[in-house]
Amino acid sequence: MWQQAMTGDPPPIEEYGLVGDTRTAALVAADGAIDWLCVPSFDGEPVFARLVGGPAAGVFRLGPAAPAAMASRRYRRDCATLETTWACTRGRLTLTDAMVAEVGGKLLPTTLLVRQLSAADAPIQATMHFEPTFDDRRVRPRVEHRGGVVFCRWRGIVLSLEAGPGVPVEPGRPVTVEVVPGQPLTVVLCIADREPLVHVAPIAARAALEADEREWRRWCQAITDELPRREQVVRSLLTLRLLTYSPTGAPVAAVTTSLPEHLGGVRNWDYRYAWPRDASIGIGSFLGVGKHEEARRFMAWLLSATRLDRPRLPVLLNLHGRRPRAEREIPGWPGYAHSTPVRTGNGAVNQRQLDGYGWVLDAAWLLTRAGWPLFGETWRAMAGFADTIATQWRQPDAGIWEVRGDQAHHVHSKLMAWLALDRALRIAAMRRTSPRRIRRWQQQRDAIAAEVRERGFNERLGSYTRSYGSNDLDAALLLLPLLEIEPAGSPRVRGTIEAIRRVLGAGAGLVYRYPPGQDGLPGTEGAFLACSFWLVQALARTGQRREASELFDLLLGLAGPLGLYAEQVDPVSLHALGNFPQALTHATLVQAALALRDAERGDQSGSIGRL
Amino acid sequence: MVDWAGWAVFGLVATTLLTCVMIAAQMAGLTRLDLPLLLGTIVTPDPDRARLAGFFIHLIMGQVFALGYAAVFALLGRATWWLGAVLGLIHVTISLTALVPMLAGTHPRMASYRAGPSSRAVLEPPGLLALNYGIQTPVVAIAAHLLYGVALGLLLGPR
Repeated sequence: MWQQAMTGDPPPIEEYGLVGDTRTAALVAADGAIDWLCVPSFDGEPVFARLVGGPAAGVFRLGPAAPAAMASRRYRRDCATLETTWACTRGRLTLTDAMVAEVGGKLLPTTLLVRQLSAADAPIQATMHFEPTFDDRRVRPRVEHRGGVVFCRWRGIVLSLEAGPGVPVEPGRPVTVEVVPGQPLTVVLCIADREPLVHVAPIAARAALEADEREWRRWCQAITDELPRREQVVRSLLTLRLLTYSPTGAPVAAVTTSLPEHLGGVRNWDYRYAWPRDASIGIGSFLGVGKHEEARRFMAWLLSATRLDRPRLPVLLNLHGRRPRAEREIPGWPGYAHSTPVRTGNGAVNQRQLDGYGWVLDAAWLLTRAGWPLFGETWRAMAGFADTIATQWRQPDAGIWEVRGDQAHHVHSKLMAWLALDRALRIAAMRRTSPRRIRRWQQQRDAIAAEVRERGFNERLGSYTRSYGSNDLDAALLLLPLLEIEPAGSPRVRGTIEAIRRVLGAGAGLVYRYPPGQDGLPGTEGAFLACSFWLVQALARTGQRREASELFDLLLGLAGPLGLYAEQVDPVSLHALGNFPQALTHATLVQAALALRDAERGDQSGSIGRL
Repeated sequence: MVDWAGWAVFGLVATTLLTCVMIAAQMAGLTRLDLPLLLGTIVTPDPDRARLAGFFIHLIMGQVFALGYAAVFALLGRATWWLGAVLGLIHVTISLTALVPMLAGTHPRMASYRAGPSSRAVLEPPGLLALNYGIQTPVVAIAAHLLYGVALGLLLGPR
């Protein structure tokens, strides 16, 4: 808070730490302030929303009372526990933050946040500012004190906070406490939504946290050892797991809404939803590192969540597989760095995007290839998707980048339609499928390939283009060498990779997803990180292993100090842009690592999910 | 006096009708609530096998509930379509507000809102009124149970 108070600027996005319980998550700033937490789920009511809602939108800060230099900030190895240490005038102060993920079968609240301050060398003055607010209007809750615990109620939600004896907590009023070495201050926040509140004492909360840490370590130990830059890849996998909503298995795209893709701009979207595309990429990522159970859960979610829309594949869904609420702007919220509007809901739900079918069917093929034959119902769903794409691929769509009002014949969408039918045919070869259906899929797959080669390639540029007849490029086409529609080493494939690097390259290994500003919105945007990781895969696939490895290392250097990535990076300041942390970026990081591993082994078996 | 023969035969008929309405609504994309699947996955993870097993489990459950209907009809000394409909409404209210949500805590393959990373459950929790299975789920469930009650009221009536 002193950071903001002194400079007037919000902390850089990448400096936030993520603590979560696989049902919701909080973002913790380097000064110890939780500036974002929705309850009881990722897409629930924000109780601390200063990140985009301004100073009145709620915060929960624990940290040094006076300005202090950051000494270190890290996650405990193979855990979701965040440690922040400040070098204060008289000694060091360490804040430990975590949420308890495993509450099933135990008398614990569904949401349990444990924060602990400990001092070293000398007693340190610390401050605590607990100020939850609710609703768009940032309403203060009804407050009640009982037995050293403060309860905050608003509608069906109740929060209880206990900070130990002698610490008078009053919501909205910062208090100063002295933290003595050897006597850590444990602060426990319990949250219930439309259920009885279970309040746990600090000692029980610490025990639950320690058990949780053991579980996370066990989870990480089961990840294969054969990974380049394993520590960073494991952090990405852990982040992906934290971004998976355990009650349904839905992969949430990011924890936040409306972190801007352009500072001060209007490209502010709500990512607290689940995209089938992300689940499919997640399947490849988890399968590749030996976490088959997580991969199968994503497929189970895809099967369940798409049930009402089949054989059409919805663009995005809420965490329970329902259509997200209508997109709207929150009036009066100032946004991150004055980036307005702040939105909830996502209008992309109304778009037609053909590429999703390719991702989903590729994931089904990966599972089949990994020794998990599809259940009959799963195959019927996949075959239905293949039938849909066989019928609809000739239509224009909004494309992977969800540009609004931009229906076009996107080459990437056509390629993914080809992939959908190709993977459906591969699976069909292993199952009983009607010859007529197979013939139809083959005909349409070949027709797509012929049309894309004829209308999607620009001879003058020597590259495939963003859409038919366009002179623009599209970094999503970096997936081309992974698809096997053309040989990976063909001049057209290599030409496309080179053209994208030349035209869309933003320096420092970064790539714009399309020419900046060409989406009908004012302002510009940053480089799209997933595209850079796809470039790593493309290079590895086309025999440029050393270059791919160097690029991968360069990209790892662009992570935030805690190894987390947003959707984009500003190529000039190298600060993160867009919602944070973003599942797609972390999933493509894992896939880039797998591509490097496979290139090292000489394994070139094709799939976009896992090279 | 409970009509035992009527209960044995017409309980099956009413449950089959209810199941057909639910399956038809699911096929029409109105709801994801799939009672045979929910019940069958208690014994097997394969959705196709689960549906078969669940269908029979559901038939047995339908018979048990039909016994309650037959007992009420016997106590009141009459069985009419509207009385069956009233019982059907009570039945669906209890099912949607208590029985189905309770599955989340007891079904071995259904997650709860408290599920964590170690959860191996794959079925999503139904939520209040089973709304997680689609916004129209309560309407479908009410229609199916009304039909169940009306059928029992008519079939267990005076013959």
